[in-house]
Amino acid sequence: MTDQAASPSSALVEIRDLVLEASTPRGTAHILRGVSLDIGRGRILGVVGESGSGKSSLASCLLKLLPSNMTRLSGSIAFDGTDLLPLPEARMREWRGRRIAMIFQDPMTALNPLFTVATHLVDVLRRRHPGLQADVAMQRARAALVSVGIADADLRLRAYPHELSGGMRQRVMIAMALLVEPDLLLADEPTTALDATVEAQIVDLLDQLRRRFSGSIMFISHHLGLVAQLCDDICVMYGGTVVESGPVADVLAAPRHPYTRALLACEIDAQDQGGRLVSIPGEVQDPVAPHVGCVFAPRCSHVRDACRTGIPPLRDSAGLRKVACIRAEEIA
Amino acid sequence: MTPAQPVSVPSGIGAARAGLVSAPLVSMRGISVVFGGAVRALDDVSLDIADKEIVGLVGESGSGKTTLCRVLVGLTQASTGTVEVGGAAVAAQLARDPLAFRRKVQMLLQDAVASLSPRMTVGRSLREPIAIHNLPQQESLARLDTILRRLGLPPDVLAKFPHQISGGQARRVGVARALVMQPQLIVADEPTAGLDVSVQGELLNLLLDLQQEFGLTYLLVSHNLNVIRRVTQRTAVMYLGQIVEEAPTRQLFDRPAHPYSAALLSTNPVIDPQHRRTRIVLQGEIPSVVNPPSGCRFHTRCPVAQPRCSSEPPPLVAIAMKRAVRCHFPYSLDLQR
Amino acid sequence: MRGLALVVATLRQVCGSLTGAVGLAIVAMVLACAVFAPWLATHDPDALDVLNRFSAPSGAHWLGTDQLGRDLYSRMVHGAAVAMQVALSSIAIALTLGMTLGILAAYLPARSERFVLIVFDVIASFPSLVLALAVVAVFGPSTLIVVIVVAVTLVPHFGRVARSQVLTLKSAPFLEAERILGASWPRVVFYHVMPNILGPLVILASMDIPVVITIEAGLSFLGLGVRPPLASWGSLIQDGYQYLSESWVPVVVSSVALGVATLGFTLFGEALRDAVDPRIGREHG
Repeated sequence: MTDQAASPSSALVEIRDLVLEASTPRGTAHILRGVSLDIGRGRILGVVGESGSGKSSLASCLLKLLPSNMTRLSGSIAFDGTDLLPLPEARMREWRGRRIAMIFQDPMTALNPLFTVATHLVDVLRRRHPGLQADVAMQRARAALVSVGIADADLRLRAYPHELSGGMRQRVMIAMALLVEPDLLLADEPTTALDATVEAQIVDLLDQLRRRFSGSIMFISHHLGLVAQLCDDICVMYGGTVVESGPVADVLAAPRHPYTRALLACEIDAQDQGGRLVSIPGEVQDPVAPHVGCVFAPRCSHVRDACRTGIPPLRDSAGLRKVACIRAEEIA
Repeated sequence: MTPAQPVSVPSGIGAARAGLVSAPLVSMRGISVVFGGAVRALDDVSLDIADKEIVGLVGESGSGKTTLCRVLVGLTQASTGTVEVGGAAVAAQLARDPLAFRRKVQMLLQDAVASLSPRMTVGRSLREPIAIHNLPQQESLARLDTILRRLGLPPDVLAKFPHQISGGQARRVGVARALVMQPQLIVADEPTAGLDVSVQGELLNLLLDLQQEFGLTYLLVSHNLNVIRRVTQRTAVMYLGQIVEEAPTRQLFDRPAHPYSAALLSTNPVIDPQHRRTRIVLQGEIPSVVNPPSGCRFHTRCPVAQPRCSSEPPPLVAIAMKRAVRCHFPYSLDLQR
Repeated sequence: MRGLALVVATLRQVCGSLTGAVGLAIVAMVLACAVFAPWLATHDPDALDVLNRFSAPSGAHWLGTDQLGRDLYSRMVHGAAVAMQVALSSIAIALTLGMTLGILAAYLPARSERFVLIVFDVIASFPSLVLALAVVAVFGPSTLIVVIVVAVTLVPHFGRVARSQVLTLKSAPFLEAERILGASWPRVVFYHVMPNILGPLVILASMDIPVVITIEAGLSFLGLGVRPPLASWGSLIQDGYQYLSESWVPVVVSSVALGVATLGFTLFGEALRDAVDPRIGREHG
């Protein structure tokens, strides 16, 4: 995380106490229970969490593309000084696709099967630079494809999405996102659906691109290894809350929250051969069930009574890190 | 195209004839599967699985690993080649006594929740095998009860519907359903897919325990290399319908011989920076199964391909005790640790 | 019993919307008339009282009488019974037959499947009224004829939907899982395929009810439907229409009955579909 002691607006995005609730037939679902995090300028933040952590909902909140059954959205999302939450939809639309861009797990959600790749890219370009001439737009589109490692760019420009392989589509989606020249790029599990060797290619691409890309990236994944390799900072989520955040190498080398530690212990390659595999007993909290106290308490091996009285605040810890555990120092 | 010489090296027929080991439980020889005359999903694949062994199958899209599983359990017919389980051909067993075969060979599908009939309660689904095979009621229900407790499934799960239970529970229900028939061989297709990291350890421990207790044999398909490395004893790596390498798991991961295996294993992102290997990033896309490359199918993406690789398809050849590689120049992509 | 709980929950959701609640109320009313006609009617619907023809609504005859002095209210109530009998029996037959053929079509080899589909197309291309005309011309009008004709014309409708449902289902993992367990094909079809395609078919059926009511009314209006003096709303409208100069009450009464019933079933069917669809989405989401 960027140094909080410096000017408070040095982070590109400052999310404070974000609460998201939605109504379901079984009751109110608490999807985000007061999330606070910063996305540093020019940094890549990895948001890690398992099912029910709320990490994808977090991305939806940043784009303000919210589920229709949403009942409550409170807190603040300060994007370069502007709070996004109270913005009317018309203003928000200007932000999306201009200052914030997103790449998804399934590229087909961003690609219209009726339009060629060229059309997609030129559309994005024209939105960013209205009145751009056709030939200039085409040149830039071509260059964009080359920059994401697509050989035969001319051939691919004329192709339709269904004619491309999964990896190729993902590259096109990345190209589209970069053409927006956004301040913030959201990537929601962009490689999860890809084959391992293709995933390696895309990860490699992202690694190269981040050096050329001046904006910030929020990389959402359930894969700790990927985040360890690609990201600068990490934010670990559980049950709709942020449990720990900080520089990725530090957090993963010396986790301070019991959940982070347990999660790392479950990674198979980290365990010695021959012993029994570790898992975290119990299940993720049902978002509908009412819950008081730390969300991880039912499964935590360090739990105390005090843990159940209220959600532990995300407080500063040494080395630009934050932890949401009242016993963080004791356990370390 | 010259057919590769099928060689099944690990616990192979050679070893069996030498009287060193008993005949394998599963013996697949020269399996080819062609769909619609054009898609060669499997091309001359041979694989043996010894009794009580855990074999891993690794590969990406188009590798044919799912098709191989389906051939083994009798869901898909092989165009050529033989599949034997317990010494008898699968096709013959299915013709003669299909129920007996089904009791012997079971498969866990990738999507555990979708494997359960959506309008049947879990309890009803669990009793399906008992009804289908006309198993003795009391005995089977008692066994089912024991299994459920062993798997840690709470009794209230029986009244629930598939969409109401978690992925992990659904997976365990699938295992219970298979175990009630006391199978010999279980084919597990991506057993940890969709499971959170925090719960997959529990499931894997369970599968290993069950293997010990019931003397099961497993064929485990997974794209999660950590799972393969940890759980399996021997692994086969597949690419575009062929087995390109077969080795004891530890040896495969320590020093893969085939360039594709080396690249695949290197893609596994490692958290600890000290243990990171250089990542081998392959060029190009996975070729289409309809029109595989000439010669060695991997040569179009191989970082160390030579002229011979594009013209001459390499046979699967033994390179050490229990190791086989389909490559003209094995170990040419040796990774620095 | 899960089934009952599901039905109750669905109905509750149907009542959630105004149109759904109105539809449900009308449906309940029509069904009540159909089932309890002999008790709800004040007179024997066929009882003649020629001296009292075209009498205005009064205490004795709540909606007045028709051209033969028969009580209009009682005839209207029995008309509901006729409409429901025809609608429910023809749809039940069409659904069963259509579903069977649809399932077979999905599992049969390509040639046989094509044959079944062609049969569907041939039937579907026949306008039901023309078919009815032809059949009635040969066999004469009767309730049974109407039921059979309507059922036959609806078979392709259910058959195609059933077939496409089965085709989508064929690739579902749980069917494969059952095969792996050793289930025979009949078992798979009865216990695993049918329960999963029945839902959409039932919704379709509920939306077909108003259509069939109208077809039956239309046929009866033309004298090709139920045999007089059986009181179908269609024949009531026909009678009222013929004697419009004498009194406007019969025509209005029977038209309103037909209109309200059709509307009610349409609203109910749509609300039912809406109630079930999002739940399916949420169940599997």
